[in-house]
Amino acid sequence: MSRANLILRVGQKPLEADGMSLSRDHNANVQSARRLCAFVNIVRAASVLLLLLAALRVPSLAAQGLDPSALLKPDATDTWPTYNGDYSGKRYSTLDQINAGNVNQLTLAWIYRTHGQAIKATSLEVNNILYFTVPDNIYAIDARFGQPIWHFERKVAGDHIGHRGVAMYKDRLYFTTSDAHLLCLTAKDGKVVWDIVLADDKLGYFATMAPIVIRDHIIAGVSGDSTDIRGVLTSVDPETGKVQWRWYTEPDSGQPGSETWPNADALLHGGGMTWMTGTYDPELNLLYWGTGNPNPVLVGDSRPGDNLFTCSIVALNPDTGKLQWTFQPSPHDVHDWDAVQTPILFNRDYQGKQRKLLAQASRNGFYFLLDRSTGEHLATNQFIDQTWASGVDAKGRPIARPEATPTSDGALVEPGSDGATNWMAPSFDPQTGLFYVMARRIISVFYRTVDGKVEGWGGRDRNLYMDSTLRALDYKTGKIVWNHELGEGEDTAGILTTAGHLLFTADHLGNLLALDPATGKTLWHLNVGEHVVASLMTYEIFGRQYIIVPVGDTMYAFSLPEKPEGKKK
Amino acid sequence: MKRTSKSKLLVAQLAGISLALAIVATAAARRPQEPEKPATAAAPAAAPNPPKPLKKQRRPPPPADATVERGRTQYTASCGFCHGPDATGARGPDLLRSPIVAHDVKGNMIGDVVHNGRPDKGMPPLPLADDQIADIAAYLHWRIAEGLSSSEVPQGYPAEKLLTGNAQDGKAFFEGAGGCTKCHSATGDLADVSGKYSAIDLEAQMLYPEGKFKSAKVTLGSGEVVEGKLEHLDEFSVAITDANGWYRAFPRSDVKIEVTDKLAAHREMLDKLTQKQMHDLFAYVHTLEKEAAKQ
Repeated sequence: MSRANLILRVGQKPLEADGMSLSRDHNANVQSARRLCAFVNIVRAASVLLLLLAALRVPSLAAQGLDPSALLKPDATDTWPTYNGDYSGKRYSTLDQINAGNVNQLTLAWIYRTHGQAIKATSLEVNNILYFTVPDNIYAIDARFGQPIWHFERKVAGDHIGHRGVAMYKDRLYFTTSDAHLLCLTAKDGKVVWDIVLADDKLGYFATMAPIVIRDHIIAGVSGDSTDIRGVLTSVDPETGKVQWRWYTEPDSGQPGSETWPNADALLHGGGMTWMTGTYDPELNLLYWGTGNPNPVLVGDSRPGDNLFTCSIVALNPDTGKLQWTFQPSPHDVHDWDAVQTPILFNRDYQGKQRKLLAQASRNGFYFLLDRSTGEHLATNQFIDQTWASGVDAKGRPIARPEATPTSDGALVEPGSDGATNWMAPSFDPQTGLFYVMARRIISVFYRTVDGKVEGWGGRDRNLYMDSTLRALDYKTGKIVWNHELGEGEDTAGILTTAGHLLFTADHLGNLLALDPATGKTLWHLNVGEHVVASLMTYEIFGRQYIIVPVGDTMYAFSLPEKPEGKKK
Repeated sequence: MKRTSKSKLLVAQLAGISLALAIVATAAARRPQEPEKPATAAAPAAAPNPPKPLKKQRRPPPPADATVERGRTQYTASCGFCHGPDATGARGPDLLRSPIVAHDVKGNMIGDVVHNGRPDKGMPPLPLADDQIADIAAYLHWRIAEGLSSSEVPQGYPAEKLLTGNAQDGKAFFEGAGGCTKCHSATGDLADVSGKYSAIDLEAQMLYPEGKFKSAKVTLGSGEVVEGKLEHLDEFSVAITDANGWYRAFPRSDVKIEVTDKLAAHREMLDKLTQKQMHDLFAYVHTLEKEAAKQ
C-alpha cells in the first residue's frame, strides 16, 4: 500500500465511526478532534482531503499525554488507555480490521524481548507508545515498530510474583512496586516525579496491580496474604501523591460489617487484599472492586463469621471511598478463593428490563450477576465442576460444605486454591451477549498443617489434577452456551474479544488461539512456544490493527500483512 | 463423551479441525447446573504430562539454629508469660504480627522496648543483656519465617497426621468398590509402595500418580498404524515415540487417534471419593511396605 493510501485509511476510520471513535486523537484533545472531524465531513469530497487528514494526526504528535476524560468513552476504541482497555472491564475492542474473514492471514509485525521476568502485564497503548511492566521494571516501546523508547528499573525487596501494568494520567504514569510504593513517572522518559508508600512492606505488603485513574484520583490496591494484614485501597492526588482517601477491606470495630468478625484483632489482621484493577461506571459514579481472601488463609478458627468485606464485590464512591453496596461470593473463605476477578459492567436486558449489570466469574467456580446500581443479586450459577458448595443461599451466595474445610489429614476439594479461574482477564462481547471465562478443573487436597494459633496460611493444598476449558456463559443465567476444552494443565491466559468477531486466548500448551466468539470454533492458531501468562490487548495505529501477546519475556505484535493485495510472487 | 480422562479408551476421530472442537457433555454429579450438550467429538486437547507446579516446595521451613534455640529458651523465660509460649500473644500482643518486630534488625528495635518497657501498656522494663535480646530477636524472626512457610505442606509432614482412616475399611475399598485390584496388587506392584515415598507424597501418588501414562495409536491416511508413548497432544497435532524409539508427529486433521490413559480410573476416582474413603484407603496403602522395612 502506498503512503497516500495509508493516510487515507487512517483518516477514513473516524469518519466511518460517526464521530464516536476519533482514532488516536481523542487522547490528545477530544473537543478539537471532534470539530476537526465535523469539518472533515463537510469537505470530505474535496480534493484537499488527504492534506486535511494528514493534518488531523498532527495534534497527537504534539501532545503525547492522556486526558483522563478520554477514559469516559463507553468502549475501548483504537487505543488501550487503561488496564482493562476501558472502565467497563469487558476487554472488548471495537476494532475490526483483523476479523473472522482475514484472521488466517495474521502475521508477526514485530518482537520485543526484555530478557527479564515473564510478562504478566496488560500493556497500555497511548499515542503510539506501549507501556508495560514486570516487577521492578517499566518498559516504554514504540507500538508501531517495537523499538525501545525507555526502560525504568527500581530494584527492591518484596514479593515479585508478577506485575499487571501501569496507569496513565495526562503525561504521567503510575506504577505500584514490590515494596508497596506508588510511583509517579513522566511518560515521555520514565523519570520519577514522586514516590509514596502505600503500605508497610516489612509487614508483608507488596503491590502488583495496575492503578485506575478516575478524573483526578489515582486509585491503587495492595497485595500480600502470607502474613495477616489488612487490605486497603488508596486514592491519591495525581499531581502531588497526597492521599485523598483510604478504604479498608475490614471495617473499623463497630462499623457495619464488623459484626461478621469475632473481635478487633481479627479485623485488623483479616486480609482481603486489593490485588486487581477495578471497574467504574461514570453515570453512577461508582467504582467496583473485587477483594481478596481473609486471613489466616486456610484456617478460619480465629475468625468465625462471614468476614466482610473479604471475598466481596464492593461498590465505592471514587471521590470519598465511601462504601455504597457489597456482595460476597465466598463467605468465610478457607480456600484462598479471592473474589478479585474483574467485575465486568454492561447494560443489557434482564427479564424484560434494560438493566445496569455487573457480572463476575469468581475463583470459587461460581458466576454472579448483580444490578450494579443497587447491588441487588440477580443470578448465581456454577460455571465449572466444584465439590465445596452444597447449594446457594437466599442472598445468592454458595453454601460451603463442612467437609470441604482443610483438615490435618487432608480434604479432597475441587477447585484447588489456584481457583476455577483467577487473575487472567474474562471478557464480555456485546455482539454475542456472552461472558467468557478461562475455567479450570483443579482437584486438590487441602491440608491444615498448623495447630494452635495460625499465622499466615496455616496449610496449603496440593494439586492432583488440572485441566482447562474456555467457557462462554449466558450473561443472564451463567449457564454454559459453548465450551472449548483446552487440555490438561492450568491455563493462565486471559481473553480478548473484538468487533471483528474474534476471541483471542491461548491454551496451556503454547498455542495462541483465535476463536469464533459465537461458537468457540478455532479460526486461527499458532504455536508460540510457551504458555501465556498474561491477558492480550489490541490497538490500531497508522491504519493498522495490532494484537499484543506477551509470551515469557517476549512481546509479540501480530497484525495483517502490510501489503496483502499488491504483492506479486 | 464426558471428559478426556474419564474414558478408558479415548477415541478421537478427526476428519477436520472443526471436529477438534468439542462441546463436551457434562457429567451429572459434580456439575448439576450445566446443560447437557451433544458430543460432537472426543476431547480436543490433552497434555500427556502436565506440570504440577505446586507439588514442589517453594519455601522450605527454616532450620532453627543454635541462636534461635537460645532465643527460644530466653523468650520462654522472659517473655512467654505475657506474649504466649509461641509468641502469638496472650495477655500481651501477638509479637509475630508486631510492626516493631517486623522492622527490627538483630534486636535494634526490640531492645528499646525490652530495656524501657511500655509502662502505658503494662509492660515492665526487663534487665536483659544485648546478646540475650539479639537471641530473642533471632527466635522471633525465625517464628515469623515459620509462619510464612506455613503456606506450603512440608515434605516431612508427619504420617500420623494423615493416618486417621481405618486400614481395614481401606483394604475392603481397595479390593472391592474402589476397583483398585483391576490394575494393582498389594503383593505385586504395590508391595513396597509405602517405602518409596514420604507420607505426603504417597497420598498424592495414591490419588493421582505423577508420570507418563498415556499411549496412542495413530492411524494415518494411508492406513499405516503407528503406536507408542504419547508425547504431545493438542488441538492441532499429536506426537508419539514409536516402537523403535523415534519421535513421530502428525497433524490431527490427517489422522485417527486412539489414546489410552492408564490413569483414567484414577481420574474417575477423584470425582467419587469421599473424605472417609480417601483416609481409609491411605491408611491401608500406608501399610504396604516390605517386611524388612517394617522391622
